[in-house]
Amino acid sequence: MSSLHSVQRAFRAALLEQDDARRAADDVLPDGLTAGARIAVYRHHVRTSLTEALVSTFPVVCRLVDRRFFGWLADCYIRKHPPATPCLFEYGGVFPAFIERFPACAALPWLADVAQLEWAMNLAFHAPDATSMGPVRLAVTPPDELGALILEFEPSVTYLASRWPIDAIWRANQPGGEQLGVDLDSGPGRLEIRRRDDDVVFRALPAGSFAFRRALADHEPLERAVDAALATDSAFDLAGEIRALLDEDLVAT
Amino acid sequence: MHPTGCGIGLRSPHVAEILETGPGIPWLEVHAENYMGGGPAIRALERLRADYPVSVHGVGLSLGTAEGIDERHLDRLRRLVDRLKPALVSEHLSWSVSGGVYLNHLLPLPYTDEILDTVVEHVARVQGRLGRRLLVENPSSYLRFRETAISEPQFLNELAARTGCGVLCDVNNVYVTCTNLGGDADAWIDALDPSSVGEIHLAGHAINDADGRSILIDDHGSFVSADVWALYVRAIRRYGRVPSLVEWDTDLPALGVLIGEAKKAERLLDANGASDVVAA
Repeated sequence: MSSLHSVQRAFRAALLEQDDARRAADDVLPDGLTAGARIAVYRHHVRTSLTEALVSTFPVVCRLVDRRFFGWLADCYIRKHPPATPCLFEYGGVFPAFIERFPACAALPWLADVAQLEWAMNLAFHAPDATSMGPVRLAVTPPDELGALILEFEPSVTYLASRWPIDAIWRANQPGGEQLGVDLDSGPGRLEIRRRDDDVVFRALPAGSFAFRRALADHEPLERAVDAALATDSAFDLAGEIRALLDEDLVAT
Repeated sequence: MHPTGCGIGLRSPHVAEILETGPGIPWLEVHAENYMGGGPAIRALERLRADYPVSVHGVGLSLGTAEGIDERHLDRLRRLVDRLKPALVSEHLSWSVSGGVYLNHLLPLPYTDEILDTVVEHVARVQGRLGRRLLVENPSSYLRFRETAISEPQFLNELAARTGCGVLCDVNNVYVTCTNLGGDADAWIDALDPSSVGEIHLAGHAINDADGRSILIDDHGSFVSADVWALYVRAIRRYGRVPSLVEWDTDLPALGVLIGEAKKAERLLDANGASDVVAA
C-alpha cells in the first residue's frame, strides 16, 4: 500500500510539475473514465483558479498583455512558483520579477514595474491597520539623538521607483481611462503607495521627498535619510518634510 | 448569536449592499482565508458581525495532509476565531498542501483506517488549538482511490465519534460525488449519523463533458438543482432543522437572487425539519 505521502506527492506532480499523470493514476480507480481524465478535472481547477487569483491581483498587467497571453504567462508562473500559503491575497509576490525575466515579455520593458505597482497596491489593501500614530517619539527624543532616530512607517506604505511612468500607464488602463495618453519618455516615476481610510492610493513624489521617505521606510536613521534626500535635491526642506510625515499620518510612533 | 434557518455565503461584492440595506438574512458564512489580512475587509466583517451570526469556513488547513498541520496557518485561524468569535467554525475532509505547496483545491483522500488515524490526530489538534468544536465537510470528488476501504459517511461517522467534531453535510457535494463515482446519494445521506450533523451546505453544480461522459463539477455557479433540493429534504427529515447555507461563487448573482435561494431552503426547513439542531 502506498503511503499518504507518496499519494500526495504523485498527485501534486500531476497537478503542477508535469502534465504526465501516470504515477498518480496508479492510485486511482478509473470507474468508467480514465484515471488521467479524472485527475485532469483537478488539474484544470487548480490552474484556472490560481490564474484567476493572479488576474484579480494584477488586472492592469492582464489588460496590457490581453487575457490569453496572461493565461499562458500565469500558468508558467504557477508551475514554477505555486502558492506557499492558503491566503491567495498573498500570492504573486515574485510575479513582477518573473515577468522581468520572461522572454516573451521583453518587448514590454515597463510591464514588470506595472506589476510591482499592482503588488504594492495589493499589499496596501491587506496591510494591518496602523496602531498608534503621531509625533510622540519625535517630541521626546533629545536633539543630539535625533540623527540616529529610526522611525516606524505605517504598515501599508510602499515606495516604488521606476524608469517608466507607471502611474500614467496604470491610470490609462482603468475603466474610462482610454482617453489618457501615455508618454513613455515622460521620465521616471517615484511613487508612494498606501491605504488611506479604506482606499488604496498612490501619488508621485519629488525626488528629494521620495529619497527621504524611502530611506526612512527602510529603517535608515534620520541623518542617513537626510543625506539621501540632499544627494538628489540640494534645496531639500527638512523641517517641512518632517511636518508632512506627521500631517500625512505616515509615521507610527 | 447562533445560526438558525438558512444563511448565505458572504462574498465581497455583496458586502457594501448588506451593510447599507441590512437585509433579513438569518446568518452569514465567510471563508477564513479571505480575512487573515488587515484592512477594510475584516473591519467590514466586524460591523456585520454585530447584526448577523457569522460562521468561519476554512479552506486551507489541509486536514488530510501527510505533512502535519501547518502551525502558522492554524495560528492565523485561531487569531481570526478569537477576533470574530463566530458561531460555527468548519473545514474540509480533504488535503491541499504537499511539499510546502498550497494547491488551492479540496483534494480527495483515500479512506482507510490509517488515514482516518491521521485525520483524527489533525482534527484533535485543531480543536485543541481553537478550544472549540470543528465541523468537517464532505468534499466533492471526481475520483476514488484504489486503497479506499471505508465509505465516506462511515469515515465521517468514525471521525466525529473519535474527535467529538461535527459534520458539515454538503448535500450538493454528496450528489456530485455519488453521481461522478457511481454511488447512491440517498444511501449516503442515510448512512451519516444524524447526531453529528451541525450544518448543511447547498449550492449549484455544472455538468461538463469528460471524454464523452458527463461529469458534475462543483462550481457553485448556478441555482441549486432539483435533485439536490430533493436530497436536502431527505437530509433535513433525517437530521432535523439543521442550520443551512447557500453558497454561490462562480458568476455571482445579485444579492436578492442568493437570498431567494436561502428563502426556498427556509420554506423546506419549516415544512420538513422536525426540530432545531444546535451544534455549538
